[in-house]
Amino acid sequence: MDVTERLPIPPAPPSESALRVRARRAGELTANVLSNPTTLTGLIIILLMISMALLAPWITVPNTPDPTQMPRDWGAIAVPPGSPGHPLGTTNTGGDVLYGVIWGARTSLRLSLIVVSITVTVGVAIGSLAGFLGGRIDEILMRIVDVFLSIPELIFALAIAAVLGPSFRNIILALAVVFWVKYARIMRAQVIHVKQNEYVDAARVIGDAPLRIFGKDILPNSITPVIVQATLDMGNIVLVGATLSFIGLAEAGLAEWGVLVSEGQAGISAGRWWASTFPGMMVFLWALAFNLLGDGLRDVLDPRTETSR
Amino acid sequence: MTTAVEADTRTLIAVRGLKKHFPIKEGALQRVTGHVQAVDEVSFDIEKGQTLGLVGESGCGKTTLGRLVAGLSEPTAGGVYFDLGPQEKIELDRLMASDAERAEFDDEHRVDLLKGDAWRRFRRNTQMVFQDSFASLNPRQLVKDIVGRPLRVHREASGTALVERVVELLEQVGLGRQHLYRYPHQFSGGQRQRISIARALALDPGLVVLDEPSSALDVSVQAQILNLLHDLQADRGLTYLFITHDLSVVRHMADQIVVMYLGRVSERAPTDDLFAAPRHPYTEALLRASPDLDADGDEDGFQGLEGSVPDPARPPQGCRFHTRCVYATRVCGWEIDDVVLRLEETPGLFDRLEDVERRSPFDAELRFESEQAARTLVSTFQNEAPEPMRDALEDMTVEGRTVAIRFNPVPEVELTSRGTDHEAACVLEDFGSN
Repeated sequence: MDVTERLPIPPAPPSESALRVRARRAGELTANVLSNPTTLTGLIIILLMISMALLAPWITVPNTPDPTQMPRDWGAIAVPPGSPGHPLGTTNTGGDVLYGVIWGARTSLRLSLIVVSITVTVGVAIGSLAGFLGGRIDEILMRIVDVFLSIPELIFALAIAAVLGPSFRNIILALAVVFWVKYARIMRAQVIHVKQNEYVDAARVIGDAPLRIFGKDILPNSITPVIVQATLDMGNIVLVGATLSFIGLAEAGLAEWGVLVSEGQAGISAGRWWASTFPGMMVFLWALAFNLLGDGLRDVLDPRTETSR
Repeated sequence: MTTAVEADTRTLIAVRGLKKHFPIKEGALQRVTGHVQAVDEVSFDIEKGQTLGLVGESGCGKTTLGRLVAGLSEPTAGGVYFDLGPQEKIELDRLMASDAERAEFDDEHRVDLLKGDAWRRFRRNTQMVFQDSFASLNPRQLVKDIVGRPLRVHREASGTALVERVVELLEQVGLGRQHLYRYPHQFSGGQRQRISIARALALDPGLVVLDEPSSALDVSVQAQILNLLHDLQADRGLTYLFITHDLSVVRHMADQIVVMYLGRVSERAPTDDLFAAPRHPYTEALLRASPDLDADGDEDGFQGLEGSVPDPARPPQGCRFHTRCVYATRVCGWEIDDVVLRLEETPGLFDRLEDVERRSPFDAELRFESEQAARTLVSTFQNEAPEPMRDALEDMTVEGRTVAIRFNPVPEVELTSRGTDHEAACVLEDFGSN
């Protein structure tokens, strides 16, 4: 039966395998992400930040006993950048600003990774449940989500952290409570949209189990916007976290950018700009970098542009 | 094409009194304000090895019916029964009189109630090919995984054996080994439909529900797909439920045709009989609407189908087709809604209609803003309404601003026999020029 239409692409070599096809597709996707200069800039900043965070114990002398606490040099209080032993100066309590900047990256990475993994997991689970099952369960879950959404993010997180008492752990907790809602919303909308596709019916006609239909057909086709949002939130969470620690909801003396900015702000009027400026710039760069990457991912991963390529 | 029904053949699918009504929800409280009667009181059989063509305009419920047969949705009433022997079919028809007595039979044979092994047997035996080949293939799966999935789900093959089975299936539909590791978006519409067909055949099913398998394709590709389906049926002894809006598509494939209109069967007949002598005006209109069937050039000014399909949430009384039928008579089910519908077409008058108080679908009082408007209705009705509608009128009296209108009540038109295995739901034994 010679009824095949001619393919526009040449026949694949016989050595083709599923793994290779998938790897090539992943490669194409990566190349696509990297071809955009702003996305690339974001990615480079992020990689620098992450390597700085990971290498902190080797590029600085860790403070003992707790390296996440600022080391105090009582012999060099509020010295300007360029002073011997303190390239970025010290705070008015003798904290080394460079140490704070480097270990702050570690704290921020920890904060954003923990919060994003908790919120994505919870949000995706709840959104999927609501969207996939529908009906009464959907109704109940979404009303709960509405309650959370009705309070502004920052104020809500602030209230929770304030009630729980000032500690960095409580900031993580507060942010986790606040940020999952968005993912539940996004995921529910995606699942409701994706489950109407005929390939879901096709899987049911084959006789596949609901859970596997969810795992193979619905989840992979609805997760993209969640990934984009998670990337953006990697930045937002550090911004909100720094805000909370700036107003004193983290332990004093923690090597964290928000704490450092807060410590340095009293000196600004006296001309000691460095203690606030460097950690402030780090927060700014961190949030900017993840936003650049997130925007780039959105453009590349958008399902509408993806299938047509 | 087999036409005679041998005594020992099994009925693969028996549809009996099948209804699927979708609730219409309104407002913040999601109150149910009505039901769309997507499928209403449908009955027919699909014999093993045959092709049943299911024909109707879009919105007539044919896709809903296909999904019910494929076990994708649950009926509101009645049922789809799977794989009945001759004795069981007689038993079923005897039991149709009482829901209670049928409960035990339903548990064993009704597809939406099947469990365990019986359900798996039905699932393996009934597959479906969807209209939109772009939406029916998961964009993130490779062809190998799409076509091999049924085999994996039913634990028929894995590893290299699975790949070989998939290659075999692809070759049967005119594709090949070189297409294994491709994504669906790398194929043309026709090729994608071939992949869908290969997937449907993977479990070697008895019945394949084809929901407009070729209507989204170019004409030349359409013919290829139809030929492929025809060849596959001959090779594998498949049974088809072929859903289409185009009678000419099923003419050469179907043994029997069921014509649906607004959720109901309007005519059911062996294909040749239906084309030679349609016994329902709707079928005749569909035949005339098919351009390649007008070969005899005997046009006599017939315009095909006029008007749009009425709201399936409020299907017309009597014969559902009477609002668009050129042969309609006074006994076809004229009702208040027909008057209101005509009013809507005369905006000046419709705007002055204040209230309609119904005592039944055939009996109501229409209140207008003014006496003059009420009188205008009566005069326009007498001058412009179609003759059969005027004939059906029992009473129309003006009293001040209100017009009382009463039509002769007509029950829903049932299917009646028009010859061997030929049924039509029309009050007219003979209509028009036939």
